[in-house]
Amino acid sequence: MNIYFRELRANLKSLLIWSGIVILLIVIGTAKFSAFTDNPEMLKILDAYPPALLKAMSLKTFNLTTITGFFGVMFLYFGLMSAIAAAMWGSDIISKEERNKTVEFSLVLPVSRSRIVTAKALAALTNLAAFVLITWVASVVAAQNYNPDAGFYDFLALEMQAMFMIGLIFLALGLLLGCAMKQYKRAGSTAVGIILGTYFISVVSGMQKSPDFLKYLTPFKYFDAGELYRAGSLNSVYLLLSAVIIVICIAAAYWTYNRRDLYI
Amino acid sequence: MNVITVNNLTKYYGKARGIIDVSFSVEEGEIFGFIGPNGAGKSTTIRLLLSLIYPTGGSAAIFGKDVWKFGTEIRKNIGYLPSEVFYYEGMKVIDLLKYSAGFYDGDFTERMHELAEYMELDLKRRIEDLSYGNKKKVGIVQGLLHNPKLLFLDEPTSGLDPLMQRKFFNLIREENRRGVTIFFSSHILGEVQRLCDRVGIIREGRIVEISDIRTLQENNYKKIRITAPDVEPDYFALPDVSNLHAENGTIKFFFKGDINTIVQKISGIRVKDVTIEEPTLEEIFMHYYER
Repeated sequence: MNIYFRELRANLKSLLIWSGIVILLIVIGTAKFSAFTDNPEMLKILDAYPPALLKAMSLKTFNLTTITGFFGVMFLYFGLMSAIAAAMWGSDIISKEERNKTVEFSLVLPVSRSRIVTAKALAALTNLAAFVLITWVASVVAAQNYNPDAGFYDFLALEMQAMFMIGLIFLALGLLLGCAMKQYKRAGSTAVGIILGTYFISVVSGMQKSPDFLKYLTPFKYFDAGELYRAGSLNSVYLLLSAVIIVICIAAAYWTYNRRDLYI
Repeated sequence: MNVITVNNLTKYYGKARGIIDVSFSVEEGEIFGFIGPNGAGKSTTIRLLLSLIYPTGGSAAIFGKDVWKFGTEIRKNIGYLPSEVFYYEGMKVIDLLKYSAGFYDGDFTERMHELAEYMELDLKRRIEDLSYGNKKKVGIVQGLLHNPKLLFLDEPTSGLDPLMQRKFFNLIREENRRGVTIFFSSHILGEVQRLCDRVGIIREGRIVEISDIRTLQENNYKKIRITAPDVEPDYFALPDVSNLHAENGTIKFFFKGDINTIVQKISGIRVKDVTIEEPTLEEIFMHYYER
């Protein structure tokens, strides 16, 4: 419990910074939205864009002149931010002990490495949950000016679940990188590289003529805002796939961290 | 009873040598000195024993239990002072000590204040603002706080002023008197000489000698200096002589063996001056290093 609370305190600043960024994004976003709202001219301009670009920005599914449609587009940024923040938290919470050379203190305490990973993973998970909740609350507050209907709240709830799931996948991945990589300096950058790579795949797989299997390679495709909007629920196949990825990453994280030399 | 038993312990970092075939044991209640130059493998040995790293081969047990299988349990009774102390940023000394104490069974508040007062450590300061020496004091208090039965000290005196060093040694002796076993790693011989009962010498990853500190000093070697203008140093080239060399007309060497042999040898020549004395540990040590 000590480790958990210490980590929460140590990570508070990072959580506040990320929350500040997401709130800023929502504030700026909705300010821009005021130009789109109930503006049929805007639709004409968008229709003139190449379809591939619209698809990549998931502008095809959504009617940008409604608040629900606008938050459908915003989800792209929510998903990315959740992925990056979670991956950084997951990898940093383990690797910082080696980077700051505190392992010779913290791992000489009578606690098993598994207990350390558990406490730290829970602290990072708490951070992620708080981040998603803050995004949720900020979105609801920002939408108030545009008379959102019940459908908006349902869709936003779905988006937030999806944002949490994307975060969870990358949190598990970050945790694995932090646990497995002795070269702690590379853990964070590898995590960001994987995020950019999978995001790129998700863009490619959105294009026509791209192979169908690509969509299974990228968590961003598991929780596609357009699909969420159409289906009205999270896809159970993708949920299962996410769960498998998360379990494998976490199991591998424990396994490697218990067996490797600490870098001192 | 052995507190530490190490058998053929070997550690390679990839292809780089850590330690090779290290075997020794430390008995309950003794102060075991572990000396060697920088990079000889002292810290590697300690980190293996603390299960921070895993061995390439061999075995090690503390309190009769395998170090890697029962690491968590063993560490309950271990205190460790690393050569360089690093703690979490943004914490006050007292917060860190309480955090550390929270992992052990018992209430150590009183002991924390006693130790801090003795080591002249201000508990209210923030750790990142402390000087190197004061950080070391935090390490000392933190390492001793939970009344460990076995203490690992890795170059403990670096950063402490002489007055503090003396206080620290008294503290260590006091702990030892209460039955605490101490593993004292250092490259400074003076302090090992002052404190330790037995000493292990490590060089390039291998143990070259383990012996009682007095045996090492008294029984083994004589340092002999002979001033004899007409004699070549080769005159003393006997099997029991080592480090033979001449300096400003004075022949110097170490002798290990029957002292009569050398006295007869000296009586065969005309000498101006002769001294036969115990070498300092420093000189014995250099002898091991250069071999």
